[in-house]
Amino acid sequence: MAAALPLESTRRDGYLAVQGVTKRFRGVTVMENLDLAVGQGEFVSLLGPSGCGKTTLLRLIAGLLRAEAGRILLDGQDLTRLPAHRRRVGVVFQNYALFPHLTVAGNVAFGLRARKTPEAEIRDTVRRNLSLVHMESFHDRSVLALSGGQQQRVAVARALAVRPRLLLLDEPFSALDRKLRETMQMELRGLLRELDITAVFVTHDQDEALIMSDRIAVMNDGRIEQFADPTSIYTRPASAFVLDFVGTASRLAGTARGVEEGVLTVDTGAGPVRARGGFLPGRGVRVAVRPEALLLGPAPDAAHNELRLRLRDRVFLGSRLVLYFHAGGEDAVLAEVAPARGAGLQPGDEVTLHWPVTDTLVFPA
Amino acid sequence: MSVTAGRLSAPRRKPRESLDPAAMLALPGTLYLLIAFALPLLLLLGASLFPDGGFSLRYYLEFFGDSFHWRVMGNTLGAALWTTGWCLLLGYPTAFALARSRGLVQAVLLISMILPLSVGVVVKAFAWTIVLRTDGVLNQFLTGFGIIDEPLRLLFTEAGLIFGATNIFLPFMVLPIYSVVKLIDPRLQDAGATLGAGPVYRFFHITVPLTMPGVIAGIAFVFSLAVSMYVIPSLLIGERFPTLSTLTARSYLYLRNQALGSTSASVLLMIAVAVVLASSVLTRRWSHR
Repeated sequence: MAAALPLESTRRDGYLAVQGVTKRFRGVTVMENLDLAVGQGEFVSLLGPSGCGKTTLLRLIAGLLRAEAGRILLDGQDLTRLPAHRRRVGVVFQNYALFPHLTVAGNVAFGLRARKTPEAEIRDTVRRNLSLVHMESFHDRSVLALSGGQQQRVAVARALAVRPRLLLLDEPFSALDRKLRETMQMELRGLLRELDITAVFVTHDQDEALIMSDRIAVMNDGRIEQFADPTSIYTRPASAFVLDFVGTASRLAGTARGVEEGVLTVDTGAGPVRARGGFLPGRGVRVAVRPEALLLGPAPDAAHNELRLRLRDRVFLGSRLVLYFHAGGEDAVLAEVAPARGAGLQPGDEVTLHWPVTDTLVFPA
Repeated sequence: MSVTAGRLSAPRRKPRESLDPAAMLALPGTLYLLIAFALPLLLLLGASLFPDGGFSLRYYLEFFGDSFHWRVMGNTLGAALWTTGWCLLLGYPTAFALARSRGLVQAVLLISMILPLSVGVVVKAFAWTIVLRTDGVLNQFLTGFGIIDEPLRLLFTEAGLIFGATNIFLPFMVLPIYSVVKLIDPRLQDAGATLGAGPVYRFFHITVPLTMPGVIAGIAFVFSLAVSMYVIPSLLIGERFPTLSTLTARSYLYLRNQALGSTSASVLLMIAVAVVLASSVLTRRWSHR
């Protein structure tokens, strides 16, 4: 498949290349032989639970940690042996790490002064970058007097002022309240797109990753489980981990019965379920369906699965109604429907559900 | 808020100072210091300014007119400056080691800093005479390893005085700097590095400014202690090197010259007060930038 891509695309894809990187802390391997390739101008999220290695990877790219093996390339240049201050890789830190002894302007000018930029140029660059983040009126303020959102804007302006070749963001929104976080996410995304800046973004928040990213690398235990665009991550998770970490899903444990014309039949506690996939008969598997794929009523044709289950609970979310059904053991079945469709249903009712076979996911147990 | 207004007036809000009820808690201590400390000092100052009941600067004119006293002041300030300088040079990295170490190492470092404070200055100064004597530990070590042929004369020299005083006052430099270093976010170094600043630039533009309040406090501590030290110069250098403290003591105890004693004591006091005031002004200016 890669061979079919035009040359242009493969060159772009290698703008940032992490190749076979291994990292150990006190003899414990936290990352082994990891690869990642990011295209120029792309916004890539590293998504995963705490301790999955996403921040470690970020610090390796920034040069704040040294890898035990592997290479990191940026725009064709090998960064592996270069110290952080020679990499021209900007970082927005989780708690912003603004210099408390400097003003807003002093913070933004820090990197320029370190590079011995002429003062007149520094003045212009500082003003330009502060206006990018709408903070020009705070020029002479102490950073200690700023709110969380304002500090974050200053941190972004400071990182961008030195025109980094790559911008790394380490959970920059985690300290902000929800409303502000959503505004800042859209604003930052727009700004980076406008300036055509390649960015790698670390987050444990799946919504944030889905909203902002061109591509998401879902990380677990020092490995990248899946690296794809948000739609593929959600609709075609490569592993049970990705399925669980991104979004919710119904899960049924079962045993593979057999494959017929590419369609696998699985015997679950709730009844037979068909899915696209190939597993040997007798093999334990897990079947999963996204909640919005489930529809109320009997299956219209053979291309749909059908189950009859007892309603356990209903949760009204405004635009959606989530129905939880009784399922055995570790199993869980939930459907997200339009509130009007499920209006008459009460806990304890027997409900018939159907969904397309093509929307059924199957993973090894 | 308009952009231009914000830029031109550059508003910098200062918290309104009002009387904090908690300040009342300082009342007993303040009263005690007034009676036990400020009053005797005022009497001392009075003795130097009102020699015969009437106000006169006679003693001061006499004092500053004598070149011997200028040498005494030179000795005092010189010894204090050298001691402060060495304490800063040795204490600054030590404070970082203390702040960045963990667990047992930190405990050992901290104890080795604080424990010597519980040993009296006289004991320590005597211990130093044993170390610095011509047949002392240091000379035996140096000659024994063939580093020098002849034993060095260290005791009763300025170098020996500075050596001993630095050792005794070092904790007063390390501890205030340590208390500041400990509060510095280590990620500021990372931030500096990712902005393109090398280690030297980061040291002078992040570390030094942020540790400045601790450095100023440490300098003020050590300088005011060193400028008024009495036991250490008495034991390590003696009569050959008079300082304002030893001069004051000598005028009271041996010469029975109250006028000279109170004048030299007042001069010393003014130097110490100037140092404390300067450091407090500097610290304020630094934290209000």
